[in-house]
Amino acid sequence: MKQKKKMSLLAKQSVAGWVFLTPATILIAVMAFWPMIQAFIMSLQTGSSANLQWNDPIFNNYTRMFADKVFLRSVGNTFLYLIIQVPIMLILAILLAQLLNNQHLKFKGFFRTCVFLPCATALVSYSLIFKSLFATDGLVNAVLVNLGIFEENYNFLGHSASAKAIIIIALIWRWTGYNMVFYLAGLQNIEYSVYEAAKIDGANGWNTFWRITVPLLKPTIIMTFIMSINGTLQLFDESVNLTNGGPANSTITMSHYIFNNSFGQGGVSNFGYATAMCFFVFIIVAILAFINMKVGDTRD
Amino acid sequence: MTEKKNRSMIQRRLIPTYIFLIIVSLISVFPFYWMISAATNTSFEVASGKITIGTHLIENFQNLLANYDLWRAMGNSFLYAIVQTVLAILICSLAGYGFELYHDKGKDLVFSILLLAMMIPAVATMIPLFKLLSSAKLLNSVWGFILPSISTPFLIMMFRQNSRNFPIDTMEAARIDGLNEFQIFYRMYMPMMKATYAAAGVITFMNAWNAYLWPKVIMTMPEAQTMPMLIANMSSGYTTDYGMLMVGVLFCSVPTMIVFFVLQKQFAEGITGAVK
Amino acid sequence: MKRRVLAALMAGAMALSLAACGSGGGDKSSGGGSASGGDDNTLTVFAWDPAFNIPALEAAAADYKENVNPDFNLEILEQAASADVETAVTTAASAGDFSNLPDLVLFQDHYIQRYVADYPDTWTPLGDIDINWDDFSAEKLDYSTIDGEHYGVPVDNGTVICAYRTDILEQAGYTIDDLTGCTWDEFMKIGKDVHDKTGKALLCMNSDGNDLPYMMLQAEGVSQFKDGKPYITENETLVEIVEKLVQMAKDGTLLMPNSWSDYTDKAIQGDQVAGVMNGNWIIPTIEKVEANSGKWEITSMPTLSGGEGYASNGGSSLYITSNCQNVDLAKDFLAKTFGGSTTTYDNALRDGGVIATYAPAGETEVYQEGVEFFNDQPIYADIVEMGTHVQIVEQSDYHYSARNYVGTAIVNIINGADTMEALQEAEDQLNFEMGN
Repeated sequence: MKQKKKMSLLAKQSVAGWVFLTPATILIAVMAFWPMIQAFIMSLQTGSSANLQWNDPIFNNYTRMFADKVFLRSVGNTFLYLIIQVPIMLILAILLAQLLNNQHLKFKGFFRTCVFLPCATALVSYSLIFKSLFATDGLVNAVLVNLGIFEENYNFLGHSASAKAIIIIALIWRWTGYNMVFYLAGLQNIEYSVYEAAKIDGANGWNTFWRITVPLLKPTIIMTFIMSINGTLQLFDESVNLTNGGPANSTITMSHYIFNNSFGQGGVSNFGYATAMCFFVFIIVAILAFINMKVGDTRD
Repeated sequence: MTEKKNRSMIQRRLIPTYIFLIIVSLISVFPFYWMISAATNTSFEVASGKITIGTHLIENFQNLLANYDLWRAMGNSFLYAIVQTVLAILICSLAGYGFELYHDKGKDLVFSILLLAMMIPAVATMIPLFKLLSSAKLLNSVWGFILPSISTPFLIMMFRQNSRNFPIDTMEAARIDGLNEFQIFYRMYMPMMKATYAAAGVITFMNAWNAYLWPKVIMTMPEAQTMPMLIANMSSGYTTDYGMLMVGVLFCSVPTMIVFFVLQKQFAEGITGAVK
Repeated sequence: MKRRVLAALMAGAMALSLAACGSGGGDKSSGGGSASGGDDNTLTVFAWDPAFNIPALEAAAADYKENVNPDFNLEILEQAASADVETAVTTAASAGDFSNLPDLVLFQDHYIQRYVADYPDTWTPLGDIDINWDDFSAEKLDYSTIDGEHYGVPVDNGTVICAYRTDILEQAGYTIDDLTGCTWDEFMKIGKDVHDKTGKALLCMNSDGNDLPYMMLQAEGVSQFKDGKPYITENETLVEIVEKLVQMAKDGTLLMPNSWSDYTDKAIQGDQVAGVMNGNWIIPTIEKVEANSGKWEITSMPTLSGGEGYASNGGSSLYITSNCQNVDLAKDFLAKTFGGSTTTYDNALRDGGVIATYAPAGETEVYQEGVEFFNDQPIYADIVEMGTHVQIVEQSDYHYSARNYVGTAIVNIINGADTMEALQEAEDQLNFEMGN
């Protein structure tokens, strides 16, 4: 009898739990999954979005993308940004967080605010200023020429390698402070006594960093990693606003190319094809996130 | 005495750190400063690279008011962002609470399925979503704007993660005191998770405030125009008035910055799930 | 049990209150749920440039109000760019819900054929509208006429002008007459001299753009398409034009800024060029630099074998959407303004610099006046006249795609790629996109 009563209590609680998560789940199901299913159906079709026909063969849009040179280039570009930018940015963010976590440091709030400011700066002004800084007659050129590093002004945004570099720099500039806030908060949860103990044990700064800081920050690192991967794989703003994908499509990202294909910016809209490419992105993000969680979960 | 000496020595050793931080701060702040200085210069001065503060702020502001309905756009942006923020943190925190504190196999599975929703580029679902909302007669309405972004896997994940720090014992104690599950949620969980609410609020507010592509698709009436749309309209056409544009950008940036500055302490705490 | 009921009740109450908010808020801001004008005397329209086509529409509205219907009201819904209008049409047509569209849209000429083909339900053909189509340039009407049916009424004029700084030409020992009706080889020689003596480029195009090759090709009467197929590598005229552009870029005759805003703000307004070749809608941009007033003049384009060349780039027309609740009013408005009123065109020119493709407009006093900025040359009449010479070339739904790929090829060639290989890649990619 008693046993039974306890069971029903647990069951009651479980039901309460379901009630709590129902509004959010229904909203996501209706506002995200239902459209996703429809998008998937579209990805098997071709033609203008008002008059879609089934593809023959049915997965034609999916095989097609691997023969599309511009799409393959956009995949290459996106992964290049991912591989170079994400590690640099996260390391820089941890480093900054470590510096700002020093209990003797003054003006902490001021520095923290400054470093966070980029991600709150409006896209319009930040893209305008990056463009003008790196313009052929811009500030960066003026400095480099005056220092004698360059002989003549260089058109950074007009060359493929330097344009990619600028996108990476812009991304690092924009998101380092944002990630730093997460690390800083993580660091502040680490008791100072842990460090004191390490000091007594004779560990130097480098050792403490790797043996104490990084392991304790691991959940935060994994979270920022997943967010950054997701953000970079869906990168759109910089490609559109800084370089417009140029010169000659050498900096275009997957999302930018997909967008061009969906609404026919500078081309013809092919919604079925665009959604097929979206599902390609989806699969990659899902795989990477899964690996990340598995790697991250080992300690739990 | 030695204490003081010790302290000044520590500060001296921190000099490289200060220099480094000052450089990083300057680099970070520069575009923001430029935005302010550009707002005070004429378009021609901005285009020709003037970066000092000028004298045309009032003129640019008057131009803006004469050409665009700034206050309406600000009002709309506030309305949408606030409604979305309030609903989003309420619904997502309920879900995060439910997923973590009542978790079982079924709920964990549902959660991991929900996560899939944030991995697809938004452009894929845009047309189906538009169809859906148009059949629900929600075009040009505040609900068409916010419904798709009230419940996001990211926020649910954040609340779920941070709920781990919510002490289970308190719940048990509260149940014994006769509180029901909802009372536990709003009498104990909500006050204790203040920091997480603040962080989630900051993130949602910023996203809602800066949203552009979706509102643009769903709302075509000028009455519904938001700040990012206004800014986009200003930078359109064959020539752009940069001075006026930057006054608009300034108006568009200030609210999110204020929200962050006011809540930055709670934001940092909330991100990692501090519990008060 | 009791607790469960309570929980369910609470959840229900929450859902209800949400729904209540839903309808309340919806009613408040939806304004009836349709972007169409609604009452008998109001029309709504999408347009995107507050310095150009919006003043033109205001001029038309004022004209109609004064001379036809004193109660008329035109509500202009400003968009950020022409692409926004295209996006709105795409979404509306894809969802089969046109209520977000206004009564009229201003739409880019080069895109309209594809949008009529892809989304036929979006448009209302003009049918028996009272317009004498012979008054318009045939080239302009070629875009908005589909299967012999008129869909749009022309607004602005895309006729290409070549504007030159006569003072800079003079420093190099030339006059604008040397550049009128010359061959591209002569142009390149003059361009080199100008660059050597003054440091200015005679020609300019943003490197993510693709206007020049298209305009030069049209001046030869050739298209990037032949019988519906890409016509690139086998198109000797196109290959020759691409080679000339690459040579000019290497000589410093052709300046290639990175983006459109660099093109307008730095190259043109920053005094880096001695010549501008584009649709005449570029004139307001040139006129922004008051210090150069009186130094500019315009003429026609060079051609490969000499003789004056004419082309058209850009431009848009007004179309009636299927969401229009008052088609008769819309037709009457179009017929009595852009379809046949010199008053509308005079004011559109005065307020927005919008030039007509409507021949009678070119004869009014406003059009015949000399323009001080252009050394008192009557440029507007000249442009309307030039517009009548533009040749019709084969159009394609893939017009902009073709332009993009050719533009990309040019950048690659300048950076060292082989000409034919780069063009082959452009053709392959275009064929790929067209599904050939």
